[in-house]
Amino acid sequence: MRIPEHPPREVVIPMRQPSVIARRVAVASVSLAVAAGAAACGPKDNDAKGSSGDSTPHKGGTLTVLNSNPQEDFDPARLYTSGGGNVPSLVFRTLTTRNRENGAAGAKVVPDLATDTGRPNKDATVWTYTLKKGLKYEDGTAITSADIKYGIERSFAPELSGGAPYLRDWLVGAADYQGPYKDKKGLSAIETPDSRTIVFHLDKPEGEFPYLATQTQFTPVPQGKDTGTKYEQHPISSGPYKVVSNQNDGETLVLERNKYWSTATDSERKAYPDKIDVKSGLDSSVINQRLSSSQGADATAVTTDTNLGPAELAKVTGDKELAARVGTGHFGYTNYIAFNPTVAPFDNVKVRQAISYAVDRSSVVNAAGGSSLAEAATTFLPNQKSFGYDPYDLFPAGASGNAAKAKELLKEAGYPKGITVTLTHSNDKDFETSPEIATAIQDALKKAGITVKLQGLEINDYKDKIHSVKTEPGFFLAHWGADWPSGGPFLAPIFDGRQIVKDGANFNTGLLNDKSVNAEIDAINKLTNLDEAAKRWGALDKKIGEQALTVPLFHPVYKRLVGKDIKNVVISDWTGVLDISQVAVK
Amino acid sequence: MSEALVASQPAGTDLSVPAASGARQFWRRLRAQRAALVAAAVVALLVLVALAAPLLTAIEGQDPFTYHPSLIDSARGGVPTGSFGGITGDHWLGVEPQTGRDLFARLVYGARVSLGVALGATVVQVLIGVVVGVAAALGSRWVDQLLSRLTEIIVAMPLMIMSLALLAIVPSSFPRPLLVALVIGLIAWGNTAKIVRAQTLTLKQLDYVSAARLSGWGTWRIARRELLPGLAAPVITYAALLVPTNITVEAALSFLGVGVKPPTPSWGQMLTAADVWYQAAPQYLLLPAGALFVTVLSLTVLGDGIRTALDPRAASRLRIGTGRKREARADAGTKGDAGTKDATTKSASSKEATS
Repeated sequence: MRIPEHPPREVVIPMRQPSVIARRVAVASVSLAVAAGAAACGPKDNDAKGSSGDSTPHKGGTLTVLNSNPQEDFDPARLYTSGGGNVPSLVFRTLTTRNRENGAAGAKVVPDLATDTGRPNKDATVWTYTLKKGLKYEDGTAITSADIKYGIERSFAPELSGGAPYLRDWLVGAADYQGPYKDKKGLSAIETPDSRTIVFHLDKPEGEFPYLATQTQFTPVPQGKDTGTKYEQHPISSGPYKVVSNQNDGETLVLERNKYWSTATDSERKAYPDKIDVKSGLDSSVINQRLSSSQGADATAVTTDTNLGPAELAKVTGDKELAARVGTGHFGYTNYIAFNPTVAPFDNVKVRQAISYAVDRSSVVNAAGGSSLAEAATTFLPNQKSFGYDPYDLFPAGASGNAAKAKELLKEAGYPKGITVTLTHSNDKDFETSPEIATAIQDALKKAGITVKLQGLEINDYKDKIHSVKTEPGFFLAHWGADWPSGGPFLAPIFDGRQIVKDGANFNTGLLNDKSVNAEIDAINKLTNLDEAAKRWGALDKKIGEQALTVPLFHPVYKRLVGKDIKNVVISDWTGVLDISQVAVK
Repeated sequence: MSEALVASQPAGTDLSVPAASGARQFWRRLRAQRAALVAAAVVALLVLVALAAPLLTAIEGQDPFTYHPSLIDSARGGVPTGSFGGITGDHWLGVEPQTGRDLFARLVYGARVSLGVALGATVVQVLIGVVVGVAAALGSRWVDQLLSRLTEIIVAMPLMIMSLALLAIVPSSFPRPLLVALVIGLIAWGNTAKIVRAQTLTLKQLDYVSAARLSGWGTWRIARRELLPGLAAPVITYAALLVPTNITVEAALSFLGVGVKPPTPSWGQMLTAADVWYQAAPQYLLLPAGALFVTVLSLTVLGDGIRTALDPRAASRLRIGTGRKREARADAGTKGDAGTKDATTKSASSKEATS
């Protein structure tokens, strides 16, 4: 997705359905959240089976994709994706990609254009990749390492902005680079000693570079075919499909097979259908209604940005045939209460702990859509192994809150008669930072003698306020999503003291600047063994949790409905969305 | 109607209610309209329910804010357990999906918001409308020009968009129901002002007003003593029709998320939350929708009845209040038109025959 002002590391993934009108009114929020459909991975076993009995996927047919958000930017430089996106990943191949498997296996990074996930030097500041042999574009010309370098360079051009900020932050001398149109010399941090080798020089150790290399900025772009801002109308395909038509700025897309793509060089994408028909700009309730009735072409339709809301789930679970067509997705995402410890009474750790104890997670989960759409969270890191999940519960509130313990802590903090506080939330209808969640918390804290006043803000106002050190409220709802399934992009922006931004968008809302935390972040970033790094992130999360700067509330779960003739539904924990590169219609 | 008005009633004008029977005749004409009576009863009941909300919910043993997680099926999106949306002896109208809050309690407390905001807004609209309208009609040419243009601007302003904008910028610490009433009142007074101005201009020409002016009364005193009584009928009529409009505006604003804030229940807000539940928990949507429908319909019918009862032309055209011979005779008698007495009686009886 494209983020206008701040470098938003919040990955906006398709949310629960807001009501039509509420959404139209909150125009701003919608325009912000033009998510480049996060995608998913992995074939084989799945929870949804085709109704035809024969569940073996076959080639051929047309897959219809019904989406709410148009693919407005179809330029690899401008997309902000997790793991390469979903529709984009059919056209753009990258150095590495996400493993296209169901569940936790799908949270692994695997080679795509490259022969491996990258070869680091000793301190993980230099990363070398070698391209596979026989890689071709849709016009039959060969893909070279220089094209990948050029693709990355053009993502630095101001007119092609929109991608994640990591490349600018990590590559040597890239901070002020203005892209290849203005600066012909290019980025010296990327070397291409021959047509199959590419070397990246980073200004600090980054063991998670292979995750970054899944993003679409690592797509090869042939310099001779680059048309600047017009490139999105017909990006040159390196993937299994090419763009045949793109109307209304990505609202309707037709993709057909790229005959130069081959499974010999791509073991991840299955590409069963011959044609992909993307229709977007639809309301989410319309999408789910069409998928459930599965009339005509909708029988072979899927969606990559819409999930079932609580009311739709209630209806679907009452119908066996429909229930069999629902896939479940997880995505590294946490909804939490954030404290600003410079605002009284939240400067007192006992008050923060009291609130942690008083929270009734079962009513919050219900407000978020119930136990099928949300899982109670006691950790800041998502409850997935790839993040290094360590299932700690430092302030055990049980399912419905521990009011007695909370009262005791308030007494110790000097508030024997309870306190009155203001909880800031958004007026978006997202079931995450919205009034429903805020009122559930208000009701729970009442039992502990904490009177909560609600301050609901219009979504853009809310975002501006919580991300500015000057205006940050003391007690508010927040959420955070991962750019890739690891503790790094989850913990560093929120808890690294050196990332506190005094003038501009600040994400370290707890204003934590703890030397030992900062040092541990640096130490983990040096690790190139991602499993080992994950364990350390989990331990660090627990250590930070002791300060009670946040109260983790819940991790969302996504229920995805597919058309009745869809086979091979694969939903990875990387994206939580059904992976259309795996879907078959025959 | 004041005595002054009645005393100076010029013959042949039908602007005011016939002599000596103001309020009584109004009631008689209103009573004669069965629909208006039913509507009045419903409105009275609604007002009573709204006022007695704490009492009613106490009888039920519930309140609109407490969560009941045990009454909903969390795994199925939070749909109420049990039949008909969880209707039981404890929860007369079932519970809200996802929270388990009592729907009856939320509905009756929601009535307070809907009716209170609508009435408050109507009062604001009428106050501003009358002051601006009378001032424009009685003021100098410049004052009239200024106020009339201002009124036109206000009339031309799109109500919903302006309210959305205003409600979005006011800090949330301001009491919300009051704010919503003020915003609706401050934006939608234009038509009231126009009607009042036109009516005042007509009244101003009448002899009794001229007489008052000639006897040296000041503008303020004339406005208060001579004009306001004459304005009462059109203003009351218009106000009665404004109330249902304001209720729908409040519901729409809450529906759009800028009206009354949660957890305060309001019908519009319930509609927003319920719109996706129409299949899984239909009663959740039908209750606020039905309440809104009944309220707006009965207020509109009542408003219509009031207009008919206050407008002698409409009353006679609709043959209301003349249905009984005795009344018709009395009517005719008070007019003192002996020559038409028989004709009136005849027409009254023929009316009876046709009805």
